[in-house]
Amino acid sequence: MTRVRNLVLGQAPHIYNAQSTSSLTWGMSLALVPAAAWGIYCYGAAAALAIASAIGAACIGELAVGGLSRRFTLGNGSAFLTGFLIGMAMPPNVPLYIPVASSLFAILIVKAAFGGLGSNWMNPALAGIAFAILDWPKAMNVWILPRDIAGAVGISGTTPLEFVRQPLAAAATGSNPLDLLKSAGFRFSGLDHRITDFLNQLLFTRIGSDLPSGYFDLLIGNKSGAPGELSGILILAASIILLARSMIRWEIPAFIVAVFSALTWVFGGLPYGSGFFSGDVLFSLFTGSFLLVTFFMATDPVTSPSTRIGMFIYGGGIAIITFLIRSFGSMSEGMAFAVLVMNCLVPLLDRRRAPLAGGRPLGAKEV
Amino acid sequence: MSSIRTFERGGIRVRGDGEQEEPVSIANAFLPNSAVVLLKQHAGAPARCVVRRGEYVREGMIVGRGLGPGSADVHAPVPGVVRDIRVVLLPEGGESEAVVIALEGSFDRLGRRAERYVWNSMGRADLLRTVRDRGVVDTEAPGVPLYDLLADRESTDALILNAVESEPYLRTESSLLKERAEQASDGLAILAKLTEPARIVVAVDERCDEASLRPWAGDARIEIVRFEARYPQDMRNQMLESILGARKRSNSSVLVVRPSTAVALHEAIVLAKPVMERYVTVGGGAIKRPAVLKVRIGTPIGDLIEECGGFLGPPARIVLGGPFRGFPVHDLDAPVTKTSSAVLALSEDEVGSAHRNPCIRCGRCASVCPEKLDPERLFRLLSHRRVAEAESWGLKDCTLCGACGYICPSRVQLVAAFAVRLRSGISKAMEARP
Repeated sequence: MTRVRNLVLGQAPHIYNAQSTSSLTWGMSLALVPAAAWGIYCYGAAAALAIASAIGAACIGELAVGGLSRRFTLGNGSAFLTGFLIGMAMPPNVPLYIPVASSLFAILIVKAAFGGLGSNWMNPALAGIAFAILDWPKAMNVWILPRDIAGAVGISGTTPLEFVRQPLAAAATGSNPLDLLKSAGFRFSGLDHRITDFLNQLLFTRIGSDLPSGYFDLLIGNKSGAPGELSGILILAASIILLARSMIRWEIPAFIVAVFSALTWVFGGLPYGSGFFSGDVLFSLFTGSFLLVTFFMATDPVTSPSTRIGMFIYGGGIAIITFLIRSFGSMSEGMAFAVLVMNCLVPLLDRRRAPLAGGRPLGAKEV
Repeated sequence: MSSIRTFERGGIRVRGDGEQEEPVSIANAFLPNSAVVLLKQHAGAPARCVVRRGEYVREGMIVGRGLGPGSADVHAPVPGVVRDIRVVLLPEGGESEAVVIALEGSFDRLGRRAERYVWNSMGRADLLRTVRDRGVVDTEAPGVPLYDLLADRESTDALILNAVESEPYLRTESSLLKERAEQASDGLAILAKLTEPARIVVAVDERCDEASLRPWAGDARIEIVRFEARYPQDMRNQMLESILGARKRSNSSVLVVRPSTAVALHEAIVLAKPVMERYVTVGGGAIKRPAVLKVRIGTPIGDLIEECGGFLGPPARIVLGGPFRGFPVHDLDAPVTKTSSAVLALSEDEVGSAHRNPCIRCGRCASVCPEKLDPERLFRLLSHRRVAEAESWGLKDCTLCGACGYICPSRVQLVAAFAVRLRSGISKAMEARP
């Protein structure tokens, strides 16, 4: 018999798609690196340390759990990604025990206790972040300004999103979120002024409108906030790569963004007295954790529905709850809770999936 | 005619393999020094051996007599001496007796000008008997004898010549259409005479050029239908649905044949040759010079790989048949049979193996299933031994095409789990269990 060495006698199919679970998680982590780098640039070593300790704790937790069953599961990248996402959502200068505890909670309680990768029913990273917000509400709400606009007085201890929700701010009439920030002394970078002027001269005055200053800083992330959530542009760029390579499905982010934008546009202007259909959509999308959660956490396949109708309800639900929490809740960073609530509903959403053609309803007799 | 048809839902376009799938010119393979002729090269019972060890057999002489429906006669592909009659393992599982013929003596047909029989004047019964005696089977696994497909047929709504490659990497059928179009056309004409179909359809790939269709140009009786090159485009249900419509597909009487079957029929009737050869794609990233070869049955696949320049790098898998439904082999002495459409040597890169992980419920499997099943749910039910429930979710509609297995990022062994249930009769026994 002529044999060839090292041949695999596997079951059909004999070829596989290049995408694997580990390549997906590692790829997502890689896509997050630019956004994290921006956060570290803004806040320095403290932000790097928070991210590193969250990742470290998540990996050690995963190793420990794997050791119990004598399996090495660090390679699938899921624990690394969870730790990375938790670290990115921590405020700068956070005491390091918070990211460590959050990561351990995410890996040990939320993931491992329910059966590990694929069996958890809440997104571990979001559960970890929610755990931190609920356990250390004060420490999780200490903000500083990034290096480029440091020194500005007035609202340095808060985030733009948090600031515009304060009662005093909400009482203001005839303005919009950015005006409010400006009147409170929130300073925008020199680059923002130059770019805004340039764009206005080049484009906006010609079409008879005017771009207010501040949006550029908002988009690139020159504002106070969690290091990983600062730069909406970098997160968006990463998301486009993920979508283009079909690493995440487009339905969930699309539904979240569409419903949330619509709600903001219709009702977002009410607190400013400018009436319906005047909300500042751009401001809402690019503040807080919105983009990071929408593209990197709400899309987690394990904890999201797998049918299109389920995704629609799931995405819409997240958008509605997020909008409600941001408008009426006690926390501006309420999006984590919105996703966790919808996570709980996923089994229900998937249950609704009817047997498709070819399958027969459960219990039905074959005729 | 110009529109390209496809199926409703699911399916896969395999990553960049365009060059490997262009039709190519067909070369004749070398004769094997020793041919291993399986007595089971068809769907039914193995043929009964009618030669003895040490006997001299002439080219095309019968060595195995088919036993009833599903079984077909087997002929000597080369002249020579029967060295051995032994039992060999089949790649698809199970075993079969095989007649080993050492090449010797002179050829009765090779190198001589073939006589052409005028089949138009032959009657139906004569034609059918000839088809049976020459051992013609459907060239797709499992190899149903053509006689069985034709004999009991009362009426035929459609006769389909299916030149859409059944799987990526394969290019036997498109190459045959390109190079042997007249023979395929003859074969189709014979089938049309035998079945008197209401419609005759030639189904081809979207990339098929006009030259391949020249025998049918201007023939009003024959419809040319183009299909998108998306796996599993050749699947019977999906193809019939787009040709006949969804409602008609189940209660129509349709005969689907491959160009390779039509060519074999042409040789059996017009050239009066029993099935001694077949066309085989030798391909995959680990093969130096991929090709389509005309091969004597019983040739070891190792000879074919050598003839194509050998291995480019170490192959990760060698597959008899297509990458989705073929059978893995590790023995390069495994012989070519009447249903071996391809020999593929796949590189590590192409196999794309990865660590197995738990299911992450991403839903990709359901989105590629051409039968609209939910493989994730079926797998979960089966792993809890809830077989009856899995069947109520359509397990029996699974065709084992392998699309779900291909796409699964966690490499969950979906196809293996379904194959175990579908290929064996233990599903009933499991149901009876409390």
